[in-house]
Amino acid sequence: MPPFEKTQHPKPFKQRKSFATRKQEVAGIRSKFPTKVPVIIERYHREKYLPPLDKTKFLVPQELTMTQFVTIIRNRMTLMPSQAFYLLINNTGIASMSLTMAQVYKDHKDEDGFLYMTYASQEMFGYWEPYKTLLYEMVTDLPAAGNIVLW
Amino acid sequence: MNSVSPSAAQYVGSGTLPSTSEQVLEPRSHFGHALLADSNKESSGEPDEVDRLKLKLMSAWNNVKYGWSVKTKTVFNKTSPLILMGQSYLLSSEDEVERFRLAFGSRVWLTYRKEFPQLEGSSLTSDCGWGCMLRSGQMLLAQGLVVHFLPLDWRWPECPQLTDVDFEVLRPRSPSRTAAISIPSFSSSWGTGMTQKQPSSIASEGLKRAQSGRLQSGREPQAEGLHRRVVSWFGDQPSAPFGVHRLVELGKESGKRAGDWYGPSLVAHILRKAVARSSEVQNLTLYVAQDCTVYKEDVIRLCDQRVLDSSSRSDWKSVIILVPVRLGGETLNPSYIECVKNILRLDCCIGIIGGKPKHSLFFIGFQDEQLLYLDPHYCQPVVDVTQGSFSLESFHCNSPRKMNFNRMDPSCTIGFYARSKKDFESLCSAVSVALSSKERYPIFTFVEGRGQDYGLDSYSGGSTDASTHIIPTGGLNGNKKRGSADEFVFL
Repeated sequence: MPPFEKTQHPKPFKQRKSFATRKQEVAGIRSKFPTKVPVIIERYHREKYLPPLDKTKFLVPQELTMTQFVTIIRNRMTLMPSQAFYLLINNTGIASMSLTMAQVYKDHKDEDGFLYMTYASQEMFGYWEPYKTLLYEMVTDLPAAGNIVLW
Repeated sequence: MNSVSPSAAQYVGSGTLPSTSEQVLEPRSHFGHALLADSNKESSGEPDEVDRLKLKLMSAWNNVKYGWSVKTKTVFNKTSPLILMGQSYLLSSEDEVERFRLAFGSRVWLTYRKEFPQLEGSSLTSDCGWGCMLRSGQMLLAQGLVVHFLPLDWRWPECPQLTDVDFEVLRPRSPSRTAAISIPSFSSSWGTGMTQKQPSSIASEGLKRAQSGRLQSGREPQAEGLHRRVVSWFGDQPSAPFGVHRLVELGKESGKRAGDWYGPSLVAHILRKAVARSSEVQNLTLYVAQDCTVYKEDVIRLCDQRVLDSSSRSDWKSVIILVPVRLGGETLNPSYIECVKNILRLDCCIGIIGGKPKHSLFFIGFQDEQLLYLDPHYCQPVVDVTQGSFSLESFHCNSPRKMNFNRMDPSCTIGFYARSKKDFESLCSAVSVALSSKERYPIFTFVEGRGQDYGLDSYSGGSTDASTHIIPTGGLNGNKKRGSADEFVFL
C-alpha cells in the first residue's frame, strides 16, 4: 500500500466555484433528475493512504443506502475490504450505514444543494517529538496546583 | 528491576544531585511498591550505585524520548464515579479505592520493550518509538483473553500499590482543576502502606469475598497459572502467538514492515489473523466489523461450531468483536463523547485502542470528562517469558492516568467480548442502546444478515444498473468547454 503523500490536493470544490454557480448547477441537475442526489466527494486534506478519486461530483440514486454507496466508492478505488475507509459527512461525522441517500441528503445537504462528504482512512500512531509532548502536556494536563513533578 | 523507582529518587536526593524540592527531579516512580525501607538501605552506599544510577538515568531518558514524559499526579474525583472496564467505582471510601486498585492493577499492561530477538527482515531489537499501536492492540486482546480464560472477578493477588494518584473532592463542572479542594486523603505516591494495614483492609477483604461469590478466584493457583500463560503469549519472541514478532509478521501481509506506524483498524485485522492462526486459543474467535457495521449473521457463522464440526466439544465459540471507527475529521466530534462513555460503561466492552494524535493509548474507562488509559510508551527491558517463573511485575501498571476527551484522536477501534450466544444477543441490544442518542450519526450499527447481502449485489433499485457512467455537464446545458473534473458521475 504505497502512501500517496505526494499527491497534490486540488482546491476544495467550494473554493473553486462561487455559491451562485454551485446553486445553479444543483438546480439544473435536480430538475432533470429529481430522484438523484448530488454529492461532492473529496479526499480529507490530510489523507495519506487512500488514493485520490478521479471525480468529485456524483449523482446518486436516492434509495441507495450508505453501505451500498460506500461499496461503490471503495470499488472505484479498488480498496481491500479490510482497508480502513470512512465517509465523513461535512467533515465531522459518520452517517449511519443503514440510512438511505435521501435521508442523509435531507438532513445534511449544504445551502448550495450539494451533499458534501470527505473520505479518510485512519491515522497511524507512533513516535512524535518528545519536547512537544512534554510542553503540550505541561500546558494542557496541569493537575491540581503543586503536584507537577518533572525529572 | 531496571526501571526508575522511588529508590532512585533517594539516590538523587541524597547523592549526586542537590535535592531542591519535591517539584524537581523526582524520577517517575514506576514500580512504586518498592518500599521506603528499601530505598533507605540503598542510599546508604553500595559500590555499584553509580552504575545503577547511570542505568536508571538512561532508562529515564529513554522514556522521556519516547513520550512517557512528564510525571504528574493523576487526580481522581472522589465525588463522581470512575468507570473501569464497565465497573463503576466511587472513590470516596478506602474500600472502593482498594477495589479500584485491584481492578486497575490486574489489567495486563504491555509496553515498548528493548533488547528482544531481532525482528525478521530488519535489524530492530526494540519497538520503542514505533510499536505503540501494536502494544495497545496487544493490551486489548489481553483484556479479551483475561475475560475469556479467567474467572469473572479474577484479581491479581500481587497487585502493586497505586502511585502518583490523588483523590480529591472536585466541584462538579468546575472550570479548572485548580479549584480542587484538597481534602486530607488516603493517597500518596508511596503506595499507602496505610491501605494495607488499616482495619479497613479487613473490611475490604470481606467485601472482596462477598463480591467474588463463587470462589476466591484471585487466590486460585489455577487462575494464577492461566494469568501467567496469557501474559506469556505476548512475550517478545518469535514463537509467542501474540508477541510483537508475530504481529509484525502478520502486518507484512498488509504492506507494513517492522518500524512502520500502525493504525487501529489495521491492528484489529492483524489481531484477527493472529487469533485465527494460534493454536493456543481454540474456543475463541475474533470478528472485525466492516465499514462501521457489525453483520450479525457473519458473527454467528464464525461462532457457530455445529456447521463445521459436529463433534466439537462446544457448539459455540466465544467472540471478540472489534469495530474500527473514525469519530471525526481532524479532531474528535464532540457529539460522540457521550456515546463513547456509554460504551465504556458496558460490561461487554473490553476497551478502546486509539490515542491522542500520533501517540497510541489503550482506553479502559473514564471519569467526568477524562478518559482513563494504559500507556504503552514506557520502554522496558525484555522479559524472557519462556522461564516458568518470569516476573509479572512489568506487565502490570500501578499508575492510572487520564486525559481529556477532546484530545482523543478520532481514529480508534472499539472492542467487545461475548462468551455465549446469549451473551452475543444481549451485547447487540446493550450496545445498540448505548449507541442510540439524539445524535443523528451513531458510531456504528448492528444489522441482521451477512455483509455480502448488503453490498452491490443486492442493489437493484433505480432504472440504471450498478455500473457507473459519466455524463458531461456540457451535455446537459449544451456547453462542452469544461474539463473532466466538472462532470457528474452517475451511479
